[in-house]
Amino acid sequence: MAAMLQPQIILLKEGTDTSQGKAQLVSNINACMAVADVVRTTLGPRGMDKLIHDDKGNTTISNDGATIMKLLDIVHPAAKILVDIAKSQDSEVGDGTTTVVLLAGEFLKEAKPFIEDGVHSQNLIKSYRTASYLAIEKIKELAVSIEGKSLEEKKSLLAKCAATTLSSKLIGGEKEFFASMVVDAVMAIGSDDRLNLIGIKKVPGGNMRDSFLVNGVAFKKTFSYAEKENAEIRLSYPLQYQSIVDAEWNIIYDKLDKCVQSGAKIVLSRLAIGDLATQYFADRDLFCAGRVSEEDLQRVAAATGGTVQTSVNNVIDEVLGSCDLFEERQVGNERFNIFSGCPSGQTATIVLRGGADQFIEEAERSLHDAIMIVRRALKNSTVVAGGGAIDMEISRYLRQHARTIAGKSQLFINSYAKALEVIPRQLCDNAGFDATDVLNKLRQKHALPTGEGALYGVDINTGGIADSFANFVWEPAVVKINAINAATEAACLILSVDETVKNPKSESAQGEAAASAMGRGRGGAAFRGRGRGMGRQ
Amino acid sequence: MALAFDEFGRPFIIIKEQEQKSRLRGLDAQKANISAGKSVARILRTSLGPKGMDKMLQSPDGEVTITNDGATILEQMDVDNQIAKLMVELSRSQDYEIGDGTTGVVVMAGALLEQAERLLERGIHPIRIAEGYEMASRIAVEHLEHIAQKFNFDATNVEPLVQTCMTTLSSKIVNRCKRSLAEIAVKAVMAVADLERKDVNLDLIKVEGKVGGKLEDTELIYGIVVDKDMSHPQMPKQIEDAKIAILTCAFEPPKPKTKHKVDIDSVEKFQTLRKQEQKYFDDMVQKCKDVGATLVICQWGFDDEANHLLMHRNLPAVRWVGGVELELIAIATGGRIVPRFQELTPEKLGKAGLVREKSFGTTKDRMLYIEHCANSRAVTIFIRGGNKMMIEETKRSIHDSLCVARNLIRNNSIVYGGGSVEISCSIAVEAAADKYPGVEQYAIRAFADALDSIPMALAENSGLQPIETLSAVKSQQLKENNPYCGIDCNDVGTNDMREQNVFEALIGKQQQIFLATQVVKMILKIDDVISPNVY
Repeated sequence: MAAMLQPQIILLKEGTDTSQGKAQLVSNINACMAVADVVRTTLGPRGMDKLIHDDKGNTTISNDGATIMKLLDIVHPAAKILVDIAKSQDSEVGDGTTTVVLLAGEFLKEAKPFIEDGVHSQNLIKSYRTASYLAIEKIKELAVSIEGKSLEEKKSLLAKCAATTLSSKLIGGEKEFFASMVVDAVMAIGSDDRLNLIGIKKVPGGNMRDSFLVNGVAFKKTFSYAEKENAEIRLSYPLQYQSIVDAEWNIIYDKLDKCVQSGAKIVLSRLAIGDLATQYFADRDLFCAGRVSEEDLQRVAAATGGTVQTSVNNVIDEVLGSCDLFEERQVGNERFNIFSGCPSGQTATIVLRGGADQFIEEAERSLHDAIMIVRRALKNSTVVAGGGAIDMEISRYLRQHARTIAGKSQLFINSYAKALEVIPRQLCDNAGFDATDVLNKLRQKHALPTGEGALYGVDINTGGIADSFANFVWEPAVVKINAINAATEAACLILSVDETVKNPKSESAQGEAAASAMGRGRGGAAFRGRGRGMGRQ
Repeated sequence: MALAFDEFGRPFIIIKEQEQKSRLRGLDAQKANISAGKSVARILRTSLGPKGMDKMLQSPDGEVTITNDGATILEQMDVDNQIAKLMVELSRSQDYEIGDGTTGVVVMAGALLEQAERLLERGIHPIRIAEGYEMASRIAVEHLEHIAQKFNFDATNVEPLVQTCMTTLSSKIVNRCKRSLAEIAVKAVMAVADLERKDVNLDLIKVEGKVGGKLEDTELIYGIVVDKDMSHPQMPKQIEDAKIAILTCAFEPPKPKTKHKVDIDSVEKFQTLRKQEQKYFDDMVQKCKDVGATLVICQWGFDDEANHLLMHRNLPAVRWVGGVELELIAIATGGRIVPRFQELTPEKLGKAGLVREKSFGTTKDRMLYIEHCANSRAVTIFIRGGNKMMIEETKRSIHDSLCVARNLIRNNSIVYGGGSVEISCSIAVEAAADKYPGVEQYAIRAFADALDSIPMALAENSGLQPIETLSAVKSQQLKENNPYCGIDCNDVGTNDMREQNVFEALIGKQQQIFLATQVVKMILKIDDVISPNVY
């Protein structure tokens, strides 16, 4: 601290907050661990939910890691990285968002004693990277392909993956029901990449078992309003008045006629359909619905093989879609228009029911996860055993590998291996089991030289251990690969930061902008450090 | 939320505005949530059953509602707590889906939460409790199906439907003429029901009320009642075999939708314009006359000139009729809504046997009755009553009984009310509990206890000894192996609900159990509450 006694050289603007060195690193790690602690309890089938409500009075009850992280509104710059990896996991694979945050937190926790002992963080980073590479190779090796099975078989396998995802959610009680629904929906859209072809409609009321899948499109009955056009006409002779009025009517009648003549039975429009037109169609036994949302319209088009027309001219047979059955049905308090039996069948709609708005919201998020998982599994059709089995196996493999390494790296890879055990440990903690006991049983199984215990994971029902693979607790391999990758990246990123420069918060928006620009800077060079040494207790 | 400080005393901020946020975790969160849910249930508890009390609610702008409909009470209470809001939504979804039993579902959820609290104190994991509840709810629902009875009715024999509606109405303020109201509700539903598809569109039943008269004057009209009168006091008050032109266009010169402007720069032009306008009116009235209409119903207004012309040509007219009513009139009379005078044709006219204007009491209020319609698929229930609150409450009660009748048309299974099914389910769940290994067994037993709370509340509200009555009925059910014994709320002298004719729809009951379990599971699953400010 001798430097403190010398006259300071002022380099940065007054008030700029800089913190650096080891203390800074430890402080960042602490922040990340605190964030990981928040989502810790949501992991697994016995995970709990979080209720978050914001200033505006919106309430969210969720178990989804990414949703919680997003809503927490985290400002700590280092901790923000965890939010980002949760988001990226969500957009990349759709599930395992809690896992990724938890892993990153655990990697950092394991690194902390080393940092405090004076290990250079680059050493740690290097070893962590090696470990993650090895882990991923191992996952690929252990993964079981479901390729080449018959459609029926594949469907039931996919349903198992979906059920694993759903088991941790609020709708876990009906996971088989929803899993098969999700698989059917994904199968319906086939290899098409557009996720928006699966629509999820939410109708409050009813039981979740009343949810149903429409092989086609369903949307709420819409209302029609009158429309107005904007142009100005100047009349200089009152007698022309009638002609203008007539001309207008004629334009409308002409349009309507064209619709009718095209032979269509149902007319849907994104814009409003006026009173006159509604009546006109009704007189000719045509069904019409205005103000159909763009998304729904696209889906109807995809389902029925029709094309969305921007003009009523040239409506030829080819652009008309067709479906076997169109009906209006009462769903809860709403009346729904349902198109089913569509020829191309490239779309599906899930109508969700449930007791409360928040309940349906959460069900939608859960189904979204399940849909993503099924799609992923369909593309990269390899699965691994869940319930912490794969994590234990990698952990064992890494420990074994570590023994062959001479030098410091051995310690680091060992700690990486230890960090991976957080998944089964947390599963036990959340379920109220004795984590140490279960973990030791698992370690013993996995250490069997024959390798027969490689598929053993936590048995959430009995508090013991069981063969996860045989119990159909499956996850797509890509979820795990992505989680390990993202968590390692995030941990390395945080470990590589040793200085944070924070500009003073000025009154002008400029300062704000500059700070945020720096925040986005590469490598997180602009992390705002808060204090030195052990901060959070 | 508590702040952490580093050794320099600087706060350690991770979450935005961390100081202002409050956070509850773990068991504390669950306890707080449960007590919020329970207190909502406690409010409704006294409204349950035929002897349930009403609540008076005053809105911020001074409007008073008196009701014992659970959904309405909760809606008007304007609760702020998040968990309490969940209970409100629970009751609302029961209302949307079934329309009846909105109080019961909240009381049920409250009882489940109360039981859960005890289990939590004993250290049982909340998810295991929730799972146990789910298993129990399945047992209960299966048992319900087991004890449910089908009953038969058709278009001619609607007695069972009437009986069921009476059960619903008996808890309401209007129970003094429940028989007649139940009959009205059933007839209305039967009129609009599509028995083949088992679909009932309640939109076709219009419920209209008017202060004055007495409840017994409430009637069902196979047609439409509109709270409007003829546009001219001298027009005939009664039209037989009316041919109705239903218009959505005003009696005025047509306006182009495009923005327009008429330049008048000389006297001649002005006169032509004036003449033309007059001609428009003339033409319009003539067109209506030509197609043979004897009554014009118009969505828009028309000015005195048009009014005069119509009067002059002896064509009665009604103006400012709302869009929904217009549609109902069109459905009832078999007419078409005409958007333009040029489109008027004789086929598009609606037909009604009798259109009359009726005035009430000494007031000047008049209403228009359109009756004996060609197609009686749209009906109106016209409620009379001493005051506005009474009428509003009657409307809600009628709505409940309409929903009950609709549910029975959809699915004609019934269970017996008066708490008999709850007791019977409780016995079944209790018996099944022993078969489950593991912690869930406790939760299943707790579920059985919670089911008892509904008959208990019923007995309490009826002024009976709750525990004594419940245990007596329970033992009677077991002894006689008769799942139809319930609480004798009205002191009829028998416990057998079959003799008392107290029915409820099976789907309504099942829904109650499912919904309550679902919401309780959701509440139990929350272990962390993060809110923006400290309560």
